[in-house]
Amino acid sequence: MSVTPEELMALADGELSPEEAARVEAAVAADPVLARRLEAERKLRTVLRGHLDPVARQPVPDPLTDLIARAAAEDSERDMTDKIAEGIRPAPGEVVDLAAARVRREEAEKARKRAAKGPRIPVFADRRMAFAIAASLVLGLMLGTRLHGEGPVTQTRAGLVASGSLARTLDRQSASANDTDEPRILASFKRQGGDYCRVFAGTATSGIACRQNATWLLERTMPGTARQTGEYRQAGSGQADLMAAAQDMMQGEPLDAAQERAAIASDWH
Amino acid sequence: MHGFCNELTAMLPRLRRFARGLTQNAADADDLCQATVERALAARGQWQEGSRLDAWVYRIMRNQWIDETRARSRRARTFVHEDEGANVGVAADRDAENRVEIGNVDRALARLPAEQREAVVLVLVEGFAYREAAEIIGIPQGTLTSRLGRGREALLKELGETA
Repeated sequence: MSVTPEELMALADGELSPEEAARVEAAVAADPVLARRLEAERKLRTVLRGHLDPVARQPVPDPLTDLIARAAAEDSERDMTDKIAEGIRPAPGEVVDLAAARVRREEAEKARKRAAKGPRIPVFADRRMAFAIAASLVLGLMLGTRLHGEGPVTQTRAGLVASGSLARTLDRQSASANDTDEPRILASFKRQGGDYCRVFAGTATSGIACRQNATWLLERTMPGTARQTGEYRQAGSGQADLMAAAQDMMQGEPLDAAQERAAIASDWH
Repeated sequence: MHGFCNELTAMLPRLRRFARGLTQNAADADDLCQATVERALAARGQWQEGSRLDAWVYRIMRNQWIDETRARSRRARTFVHEDEGANVGVAADRDAENRVEIGNVDRALARLPAEQREAVVLVLVEGFAYREAAEIIGIPQGTLTSRLGRGREALLKELGETA
């Protein structure tokens, strides 16, 4: 029974049919050299993802989401007025080079910083921008709007996503961690479908976040302990509701400390 | 068209990861993302509703990066030719400094030929199936798997201790 390097690679990548996979796995089980090789292949994937996944968890820079929100607003404007003059949208196939993109990106950053420094009076660069913002409000698009600046929650099209310190807590903190840490993790579990989820409670916000596409999607949020009871860390009915909701989502039992450590170590894959 | 913009926004975290995998550097990755999104928006009329948007946008990003690296190497050649090596040492020094600052994984990826790097990143990091990755790059699946195999081999050697 011989196994080619290509077959071993395809096994590691999940590209073999069940029959082929069974044959290669049997060969691997009988040959320590192959087993080591397969292990190395799998580890390589873990190392690469461990290095690059954090990029996908960073908050997306505003100029990028703004760019799309503006385009969406233009499309809506077009839909609403039916026959608006051509020419707002750049011509298809327009040449875009990176240096020019960088200049636009930096200008957008600068404009934002200026706006942040100046008096809190909305100043719109031009009427189209004002219209774009108004349209996106009216239509409830609000694409990619950061809710609390560099805060713990970012809105994306997929929904509310944890960012900043909340994302870091969800990534790394165990439920048994010192409970003076803020927010606290109340429980970790796997839901139906296999995604990992975590219940967290903070003074500002509590909720349930589930791991999807390398981000923590907030499945459920509620005001945190401070606002909810007026008294810090009194386990209010809110937390009981959250735990009950978690119970409903859960597949099997919550993770124990060892399972949770393993999940943290494998970056919640 | 709302679907297009919504899906594109939802895809941004993954696109930023892919850009970083291709460029190994945060500033280039940001520029690449910006240029890709601009291109995708400009061409959104050409996207066929119902087809996979992510593969379409990944393809734009990958092509954009190839254009950029070609333009850069053209510029670099012109530069060396005109100045007859006077600045070559400076460029090499700067290169060496940059290399010290970047991590093992970035360095190992940077050393791969571009065609192996994109194959590795699409399959191992972005999680595309062989068939999908081959379509994004625009090559037969057999070519993809051989590039993937060579890229992996090189990375395993380079990252032997960490991997």
